[in-house]
Amino acid sequence: MDDFEQRLKRQPLRQLPADWREGILAAAKAVEPADHRSRTAHPSFLSTLNHQLSTLLWPHPKAWAGLAAVWIVIVTMNMSMRESAPAVMAKKASPPSSEMMAELKQQRLMYAQLIGGGDQPADRPKFFPMPRSGRVGMMMT
Amino acid sequence: MRRGTEIDRLYDSHAQPLYAFLLSLTRNEADTRDLLQDIFVKLSREPHLLDGVRDERAFLIRLAHNATIDLIRRRGSRERTKDRFAAEIISPFAPCDEPDGRFFRDELSAALVELPPDQRAVVHLKLWEGLTFEAIAEVLEISPNTAASRYRYGLDKLRERLRPLYEEIK
Repeated sequence: MDDFEQRLKRQPLRQLPADWREGILAAAKAVEPADHRSRTAHPSFLSTLNHQLSTLLWPHPKAWAGLAAVWIVIVTMNMSMRESAPAVMAKKASPPSSEMMAELKQQRLMYAQLIGGGDQPADRPKFFPMPRSGRVGMMMT
Repeated sequence: MRRGTEIDRLYDSHAQPLYAFLLSLTRNEADTRDLLQDIFVKLSREPHLLDGVRDERAFLIRLAHNATIDLIRRRGSRERTKDRFAAEIISPFAPCDEPDGRFFRDELSAALVELPPDQRAVVHLKLWEGLTFEAIAEVLEISPNTAASRYRYGLDKLRERLRPLYEEIK
Protein backbone atom coordinates (compact mmCIF):
# COMPACT_ATOMS: atom_id res chain seq x y z
CA MET A 1 0.00 0.00 0.00
CA ASP A 2 1.27 3.47 -0.85
CA ASP A 3 0.84 6.66 1.19
CA PHE A 4 -2.45 7.53 -0.42
CA GLU A 5 -3.96 4.15 0.40
CA GLN A 6 -2.60 4.37 3.94
CA ARG A 7 -4.19 7.78 4.32
CA LEU A 8 -7.56 6.46 3.19
CA LYS A 9 -7.28 3.44 5.42
CA ARG A 10 -6.72 5.64 8.48
CA GLN A 11 -10.06 7.42 8.06
CA PRO A 12 -12.29 6.15 10.89
CA LEU A 13 -15.68 4.82 9.90
CA ARG A 14 -18.97 6.01 11.35
CA GLN A 15 -20.07 4.15 14.46
CA LEU A 16 -23.14 1.97 14.48
CA PRO A 17 -25.92 3.80 16.37
CA ALA A 18 -26.19 2.15 19.78
CA ASP A 19 -29.97 2.47 19.93
CA TRP A 20 -30.40 0.18 16.90
CA ARG A 21 -29.29 -2.88 18.86
CA GLU A 22 -32.45 -3.31 20.88
CA GLY A 23 -34.85 -2.87 17.95
CA ILE A 24 -32.96 -5.09 15.54
CA LEU A 25 -32.46 -7.89 18.06
CA ALA A 26 -36.11 -7.69 19.16
CA ALA A 27 -37.22 -8.05 15.53
CA ALA A 28 -34.83 -10.96 15.02
CA LYS A 29 -35.96 -12.77 18.16
CA ALA A 30 -39.62 -12.24 17.29
CA VAL A 31 -39.43 -14.56 14.27
CA GLU A 32 -39.71 -18.31 14.64
CA PRO A 33 -37.03 -20.54 13.17
CA ALA A 34 -38.08 -21.91 9.78
CA ASP A 35 -37.69 -25.59 10.77
CA HIS A 36 -39.69 -25.06 13.98
CA ARG A 37 -42.42 -23.34 12.04
CA SER A 38 -42.68 -26.18 9.55
CA ARG A 39 -42.83 -28.75 12.35
CA THR A 40 -45.65 -26.97 14.15
CA ALA A 41 -47.65 -26.10 11.03
CA HIS A 42 -51.11 -27.68 10.79
CA PRO A 43 -51.23 -30.68 8.46
CA SER A 44 -53.24 -30.25 5.29
CA PHE A 45 -56.47 -32.17 4.58
CA LEU A 46 -54.75 -34.40 2.02
CA SER A 47 -51.92 -35.32 4.37
CA THR A 48 -54.45 -36.14 7.11
CA LEU A 49 -56.44 -38.29 4.67
CA ASN A 50 -53.28 -40.03 3.53
CA HIS A 51 -52.29 -40.70 7.12
CA GLN A 52 -55.71 -42.12 8.00
CA LEU A 53 -55.79 -44.32 4.91
CA SER A 54 -52.29 -45.56 5.59
CA THR A 55 -53.24 -46.45 9.14
CA LEU A 56 -56.35 -48.26 7.94
CA LEU A 57 -54.75 -50.17 5.09
CA TRP A 58 -51.35 -50.81 6.61
CA PRO A 59 -52.05 -54.27 8.22
CA HIS A 60 -52.74 -56.01 4.85
CA PRO A 61 -51.89 -53.62 2.06
CA LYS A 62 -51.71 -56.35 -0.63
CA ALA A 63 -55.12 -57.70 0.26
CA TRP A 64 -56.64 -54.22 0.06
CA ALA A 65 -54.90 -53.55 -3.22
CA GLY A 66 -56.19 -56.87 -4.64
CA LEU A 67 -59.71 -56.10 -3.54
CA ALA A 68 -59.55 -52.67 -5.11
CA ALA A 69 -58.26 -54.22 -8.35
CA VAL A 70 -61.11 -56.75 -8.43
CA TRP A 71 -63.64 -53.97 -7.95
CA ILE A 72 -62.08 -51.97 -10.73
CA VAL A 73 -62.28 -54.97 -13.08
CA ILE A 74 -65.94 -55.60 -12.16
CA VAL A 75 -66.96 -52.01 -12.65
CA THR A 76 -65.09 -51.80 -15.94
CA MET A 77 -66.71 -54.98 -17.28
CA ASN A 78 -70.13 -53.86 -16.15
CA MET A 79 -69.83 -50.54 -17.87
CA SER A 80 -68.48 -52.04 -21.09
CA MET A 81 -71.31 -54.63 -21.24
CA ARG A 82 -73.91 -51.99 -20.57
CA GLU A 83 -72.57 -49.91 -23.43
CA SER A 84 -72.30 -52.82 -25.91
CA ALA A 85 -75.63 -54.64 -25.23
CA PRO A 86 -78.07 -52.39 -27.22
CA ALA A 87 -75.69 -52.37 -30.12
CA VAL A 88 -75.64 -56.18 -30.21
CA MET A 89 -79.41 -56.36 -30.07
CA ALA A 90 -79.71 -53.80 -32.78
CA LYS A 91 -77.28 -55.73 -34.94
CA LYS A 92 -79.10 -59.02 -34.47
CA ALA A 93 -82.55 -57.61 -35.18
CA SER A 94 -83.53 -58.07 -38.86
CA PRO A 95 -86.29 -56.20 -40.68
CA PRO A 96 -89.64 -58.14 -40.63
CA SER A 97 -90.47 -60.08 -43.77
CA SER A 98 -93.59 -59.45 -45.86
CA GLU A 99 -95.17 -62.75 -44.68
CA MET A 100 -94.71 -61.74 -41.08
CA MET A 101 -96.17 -58.33 -41.79
CA ALA A 102 -99.19 -60.00 -43.45
CA GLU A 103 -99.58 -62.40 -40.50
CA LEU A 104 -99.40 -59.49 -38.06
CA LYS A 105 -102.01 -57.63 -40.05
CA GLN A 106 -104.27 -60.69 -40.02
CA GLN A 107 -103.89 -61.11 -36.27
CA ARG A 108 -104.62 -57.45 -35.67
CA LEU A 109 -107.81 -57.80 -37.76
CA MET A 110 -108.96 -60.87 -35.82
CA TYR A 111 -108.27 -59.12 -32.54
CA ALA A 112 -110.37 -56.18 -33.66
CA GLN A 113 -113.25 -58.54 -34.57
CA LEU A 114 -113.01 -60.32 -31.23
CA ILE A 115 -113.11 -57.22 -29.06
CA GLY A 116 -115.43 -55.30 -31.28
CA GLY A 117 -119.16 -55.66 -30.25
CA GLY A 118 -120.60 -55.23 -33.82
CA ASP A 119 -120.65 -58.82 -35.12
CA GLN A 120 -120.84 -60.67 -31.71
CA PRO A 121 -124.34 -61.94 -30.74
CA ALA A 122 -125.63 -60.18 -27.63
CA ASP A 123 -127.63 -63.16 -26.28
CA ARG A 124 -124.69 -65.49 -26.33
CA PRO A 125 -124.02 -66.55 -22.73
CA LYS A 126 -120.74 -65.65 -21.38
CA PHE A 127 -118.55 -68.53 -20.49
CA PHE A 128 -117.56 -68.79 -16.90
CA PRO A 129 -115.32 -71.71 -16.03
CA MET A 130 -116.74 -74.00 -13.39
CA PRO A 131 -115.00 -76.33 -11.01
CA ARG A 132 -114.39 -79.82 -12.34
CA SER A 133 -116.72 -81.33 -9.71
CA GLY A 134 -119.53 -79.11 -10.97
CA ARG A 135 -118.89 -80.21 -14.56
CA VAL A 136 -119.07 -83.86 -13.50
CA GLY A 137 -122.44 -83.21 -11.82
CA MET A 138 -123.79 -81.62 -15.00
CA MET A 139 -122.74 -84.63 -17.07
CA MET A 140 -124.49 -87.00 -14.66
CA THR A 141 -127.74 -85.18 -14.94
CA MET B 1 -32.92 -18.98 24.84
CA ARG B 2 -29.75 -20.28 23.18
CA ARG B 3 -30.93 -18.90 19.85
CA GLY B 4 -31.37 -15.46 21.43
CA THR B 5 -27.91 -15.57 22.97
CA GLU B 6 -26.40 -16.59 19.64
CA ILE B 7 -28.08 -13.71 17.84
CA ASP B 8 -26.76 -11.32 20.52
CA ARG B 9 -23.26 -12.67 20.00
CA LEU B 10 -23.48 -12.35 16.23
CA TYR B 11 -24.74 -8.79 16.53
CA ASP B 12 -22.02 -7.73 18.95
CA SER B 13 -19.32 -9.37 16.84
CA HIS B 14 -20.35 -8.31 13.35
CA ALA B 15 -22.94 -5.53 13.33
CA GLN B 16 -20.41 -2.67 13.24
CA PRO B 17 -18.49 -3.79 10.13
CA LEU B 18 -21.75 -4.81 8.44
CA TYR B 19 -23.16 -1.37 9.19
CA ALA B 20 -20.11 0.35 7.71
CA PHE B 21 -20.21 -1.82 4.60
CA LEU B 22 -23.95 -1.34 4.07
CA LEU B 23 -23.69 2.42 4.64
CA SER B 24 -20.81 2.60 2.18
CA LEU B 25 -22.98 0.91 -0.46
CA THR B 26 -26.36 2.51 0.19
CA ARG B 27 -25.28 5.88 1.68
CA ASN B 28 -28.66 5.95 3.30
CA GLU B 29 -29.17 5.35 7.00
CA ALA B 30 -32.78 4.08 6.80
CA ASP B 31 -31.88 1.56 4.08
CA THR B 32 -28.83 0.48 6.07
CA ARG B 33 -30.93 -0.15 9.15
CA ASP B 34 -33.53 -2.12 7.18
CA LEU B 35 -30.88 -4.26 5.53
CA LEU B 36 -29.05 -4.86 8.80
CA GLN B 37 -32.29 -5.92 10.45
CA ASP B 38 -33.14 -8.19 7.51
CA ILE B 39 -29.80 -9.95 7.93
CA PHE B 40 -30.33 -10.65 11.63
CA VAL B 41 -33.95 -11.70 11.07
CA LYS B 42 -32.69 -14.14 8.44
CA LEU B 43 -30.08 -15.48 10.84
CA SER B 44 -32.74 -15.94 13.49
CA ARG B 45 -35.18 -17.61 11.10
CA GLU B 46 -32.50 -19.96 9.76
CA PRO B 47 -30.40 -20.85 12.81
CA HIS B 48 -28.36 -23.41 10.87
CA LEU B 49 -27.32 -20.91 8.20
CA LEU B 50 -23.88 -20.53 9.75
CA ASP B 51 -23.33 -24.25 10.36
CA GLY B 52 -20.05 -25.26 8.78
CA VAL B 53 -19.13 -21.69 7.82
CA ARG B 54 -15.39 -21.11 8.28
CA ASP B 55 -15.42 -17.31 8.29
CA GLU B 56 -18.58 -15.81 9.81
CA ARG B 57 -17.60 -12.25 8.93
CA ALA B 58 -17.02 -13.06 5.27
CA PHE B 59 -20.31 -14.97 5.10
CA LEU B 60 -22.25 -12.10 6.68
CA ILE B 61 -20.65 -9.53 4.39
CA ARG B 62 -21.73 -11.67 1.46
CA LEU B 63 -25.30 -11.69 2.83
CA ALA B 64 -25.13 -7.91 3.22
CA HIS B 65 -23.82 -7.46 -0.32
CA ASN B 66 -26.51 -9.68 -1.82
CA ALA B 67 -29.23 -7.93 0.18
CA THR B 68 -27.99 -4.55 -1.06
CA ILE B 69 -27.92 -5.73 -4.68
CA ASP B 70 -31.49 -7.02 -4.26
CA LEU B 71 -32.55 -3.66 -2.86
CA ILE B 72 -30.98 -1.80 -5.75
CA ARG B 73 -32.68 -4.10 -8.26
CA ARG B 74 -36.03 -3.73 -6.51
CA ARG B 75 -35.73 0.02 -6.65
CA GLY B 76 -35.17 0.02 -10.40
CA SER B 77 -32.27 1.19 -12.48
CA ARG B 78 -28.85 1.83 -11.02
CA GLU B 79 -28.87 5.43 -12.14
CA ARG B 80 -32.14 6.18 -10.36
CA THR B 81 -30.83 4.59 -7.19
CA LYS B 82 -27.58 6.49 -7.47
CA ASP B 83 -29.50 9.76 -7.82
CA ARG B 84 -31.59 8.88 -4.81
CA PHE B 85 -28.54 7.98 -2.76
CA ALA B 86 -26.81 11.16 -3.86
CA ALA B 87 -29.79 13.19 -2.72
CA GLU B 88 -29.65 11.70 0.78
CA ILE B 89 -25.93 11.18 1.02
CA ILE B 90 -24.57 10.19 4.40
CA SER B 91 -20.86 9.92 4.95
CA PRO B 92 -19.62 6.50 6.01
CA PHE B 93 -16.89 8.22 8.02
CA ALA B 94 -16.92 9.37 11.61
CA PRO B 95 -17.35 13.11 12.17
CA CYS B 96 -14.13 15.05 12.56
CA ASP B 97 -13.53 18.22 14.59
CA GLU B 98 -10.37 19.24 12.78
CA PRO B 99 -11.24 21.32 9.66
CA ASP B 100 -8.70 19.82 7.24
CA GLY B 101 -9.55 16.33 8.32
CA ARG B 102 -13.29 17.00 8.04
CA PHE B 103 -12.85 18.46 4.55
CA PHE B 104 -10.81 15.49 3.41
CA ARG B 105 -13.41 13.05 4.71
CA ASP B 106 -16.21 14.95 3.04
CA GLU B 107 -14.35 14.92 -0.27
CA LEU B 108 -13.49 11.25 0.10
CA SER B 109 -17.13 10.47 0.87
CA ALA B 110 -18.27 12.35 -2.23
CA ALA B 111 -15.62 10.64 -4.37
CA LEU B 112 -16.72 7.21 -3.14
CA VAL B 113 -20.32 7.92 -4.15
CA GLU B 114 -19.14 8.50 -7.70
CA LEU B 115 -17.66 5.00 -7.90
CA PRO B 116 -19.82 2.22 -9.31
CA PRO B 117 -21.15 0.02 -6.47
CA ASP B 118 -19.02 -2.99 -7.47
CA GLN B 119 -15.82 -0.91 -7.28
CA ARG B 120 -16.97 0.77 -4.08
CA ALA B 121 -17.60 -2.59 -2.45
CA VAL B 122 -14.10 -3.83 -3.31
CA VAL B 123 -12.43 -0.59 -2.19
CA HIS B 124 -14.31 -0.69 1.11
CA LEU B 125 -13.49 -4.33 1.82
CA LYS B 126 -9.82 -3.85 0.91
CA LEU B 127 -9.19 -0.60 2.76
CA TRP B 128 -11.49 -0.69 5.75
CA GLU B 129 -12.02 -4.42 6.28
CA GLY B 130 -8.45 -5.34 5.41
CA LEU B 131 -9.47 -8.33 3.28
CA THR B 132 -7.17 -9.85 0.71
CA PHE B 133 -8.21 -10.00 -2.93
CA GLU B 134 -8.79 -13.72 -2.52
CA ALA B 135 -11.12 -13.09 0.42
CA ILE B 136 -12.90 -10.28 -1.42
CA ALA B 137 -13.31 -12.56 -4.42
CA GLU B 138 -14.89 -15.20 -2.23
CA VAL B 139 -17.22 -12.74 -0.52
CA LEU B 140 -18.40 -11.06 -3.71
CA GLU B 141 -18.36 -14.28 -5.76
CA ILE B 142 -15.96 -12.89 -8.37
CA SER B 143 -12.44 -13.91 -9.42
CA PRO B 144 -9.42 -12.52 -7.51
CA ASN B 145 -8.25 -10.83 -10.72
CA THR B 146 -11.60 -9.08 -11.07
CA ALA B 147 -11.42 -7.98 -7.44
CA ALA B 148 -7.90 -6.61 -7.97
CA SER B 149 -8.81 -4.78 -11.17
CA ARG B 150 -11.92 -3.25 -9.62
CA TYR B 151 -9.80 -2.04 -6.72
CA ARG B 152 -7.23 -0.51 -9.07
CA TYR B 153 -9.87 1.25 -11.15
CA GLY B 154 -11.64 2.54 -8.05
CA LEU B 155 -8.45 3.68 -6.37
CA ASP B 156 -7.24 5.47 -9.50
CA LYS B 157 -10.49 7.42 -9.62
CA LEU B 158 -10.19 8.35 -5.96
CA ARG B 159 -6.57 9.35 -6.42
CA GLU B 160 -7.36 11.53 -9.37
CA ARG B 161 -10.26 13.16 -7.62
CA LEU B 162 -8.43 13.74 -4.30
CA ARG B 163 -4.88 14.37 -5.53
CA PRO B 164 -4.92 18.18 -5.22
CA LEU B 165 -6.37 18.02 -1.76
CA TYR B 166 -4.08 15.21 -0.72
CA GLU B 167 -0.98 17.03 -1.99
CA GLU B 168 -2.06 20.14 -0.15
CA ILE B 169 -2.58 18.56 3.25
CA LYS B 170 0.18 15.96 3.03
